[in-house]
Amino acid sequence: MRRSILVPDSYLGVRLDILRRSQNPDGGWSYYTGKQSWLEPTFYGALVLHGDPAADRAWSLIKSWQQADGSWPPTAGAAISGWGTALCLTLAHIRGEIDGTFLKGLAYLLKTAGTESEIWRRALAKFGLVDPGRNLKLKGWPWKQGTSSWVEPTAHTLIALKKAYTLLPAPELTERIHSGQALLLDVRCKDGGWNYGSAWTLGEDQRSYPETTALALLGLQGRPEAASSLDMARHWLQETSSSLARAWITIALRLHGIAVPNTNSPLKGSGSPDLMVVALEALGAPDGNYRLLKTEAAG
Amino acid sequence: MKISRRDFIPLAGAGLMAGYAGWQGLRSRRNAPLGPSPVAVIKATSYSEDLAQRILRGVRECGLDVRGLNVLLKPNLVEFDPNTSVNTDVSVVAAAYEVFKSLGAAEVLIGEGPGHRRDTYSLVEMARYREISKFDDLFVDLNRDDVTAVEKFADRAEMYFPNTALRADLVVSLAKMKTHHWAGATLSMKNFFGVVPGSVYGWPKNELHHIGIPESIVELNRIFRRSFGIVDGIVGMEGNGPIQGTPKPAGVLVMGSDLPAVDATCCRIMGIDPAKIEYLRMASDGSLGNVEESRIEQRGEKINEVRTNFALIDSFRGLRLT
Repeated sequence: MRRSILVPDSYLGVRLDILRRSQNPDGGWSYYTGKQSWLEPTFYGALVLHGDPAADRAWSLIKSWQQADGSWPPTAGAAISGWGTALCLTLAHIRGEIDGTFLKGLAYLLKTAGTESEIWRRALAKFGLVDPGRNLKLKGWPWKQGTSSWVEPTAHTLIALKKAYTLLPAPELTERIHSGQALLLDVRCKDGGWNYGSAWTLGEDQRSYPETTALALLGLQGRPEAASSLDMARHWLQETSSSLARAWITIALRLHGIAVPNTNSPLKGSGSPDLMVVALEALGAPDGNYRLLKTEAAG
Repeated sequence: MKISRRDFIPLAGAGLMAGYAGWQGLRSRRNAPLGPSPVAVIKATSYSEDLAQRILRGVRECGLDVRGLNVLLKPNLVEFDPNTSVNTDVSVVAAAYEVFKSLGAAEVLIGEGPGHRRDTYSLVEMARYREISKFDDLFVDLNRDDVTAVEKFADRAEMYFPNTALRADLVVSLAKMKTHHWAGATLSMKNFFGVVPGSVYGWPKNELHHIGIPESIVELNRIFRRSFGIVDGIVGMEGNGPIQGTPKPAGVLVMGSDLPAVDATCCRIMGIDPAKIEYLRMASDGSLGNVEESRIEQRGEKINEVRTNFALIDSFRGLRLT
């Protein structure tokens, strides 16, 4: 969808203008102006400008980064199979680019799971001799292959797999989606939100954070159990001064059908030089493209 | 492109690194005897005191010359909580900036890659770092900087690091004096976790936990060998650190070029036996620095005059210095 009719001093218009002006010549976006292109801000830039030639250039760049194992690295030349693969799959689905690139990425996500704790600790947990603070049988996704499952990469991958499920309702997808959602619910903090990985460490309850709470809610779209955490998200929206957190919470609440007060000032919320934050603010604007991240329950 | 840390310096045009002891060089010096290390313990009971004067005194006591160097100040901003003392106080960061500029450093930048996925600029705002004059021009978000691979990191073939940190002639670890629920204590050496880019490895930096926390601390300090430690112990953290502990005034700034020696001294001040902190034991075994008290030249205050036992969680009661 073209957004050229937007006046440049509207909340969304200001951010679109910043993003258009800061796109790197290779089609990507950096976190900060003048730096190399990274997958994550490029993904959000492409969502915000979906339908615009700038988004096509961004997708061309991202597509060229896919690695032999089907995964994507966080930036060009960083030979790491990373969590950003989920973002690329989501973007490919949104763009209708269902081809070999998409299927290789999907296969990578299905074969990837967090490596939870050491073998000896898992064995002790199996016999009830230690409390790992979470159900180790549930499979989520790591930031990087070979490390543990965390809330954020699990949430991003759930969005990607739920979107993929609408095209390929395979039992493997259903199983991983159910397990990933169960993992998120298993690690929900007592206060109703989410910490980074566990709700409990060394005998102490962990507090939730606004960013992770918002992302978990994005991953749990379509699950009725998510409803009890929406109050915590509303609380965070009022409490946090973080632009990143406010943008993610706004997107999550809107996708759960919760009305979020519109900003009065065109520039309100702006101030971070981080272009990913600018893109997330644009995405979560009332007339932004946040609906592109909408998913339904799967299976 | 993969490079060794050693290769990066000439590529970055830093010809001042003739004395650089990088990874390979250090390996060849493994188990070589080290000379005694000066560590300055300077009293500072409040953040409203003249901290620049105190830091300047400590730097001079340790004989550090920064003329012409590109200096990166790396505070601890792993997270912010107004109810406790998680991060290096803004007064210490501001004073260190002033001191290194006044000593003739060619450039002084401030860089940090918080351990949690937060809005970095919101964190620096809450921690009042943005009150430092021209802070936005000086600050580099190390989680989202451009990166370069460095060969060999523990059992990994390579590890990516922010170019700003690799390019620095001297990284000043502006750490907080805290207990740590996994490592025992987090001081100037552990503070280097903040140079590992979250944009590559995620938040928290779980790759380091899988490699092993002590192993990672030692490896980071081998790679960033040209360093100086300044530990903010004016108000530290005890108990369930590094985030959920309680404030603990210790009334000191501890500094030196030998970071294991700085951290061992901090441990003694905190009532922790440094010989029982695994990463310090590994650093000592690998000749990364001095940990034994007899090999540290204490300057400024005497340890027994400033020692104040930090509360330890149950699993670390055995670390107490007797």
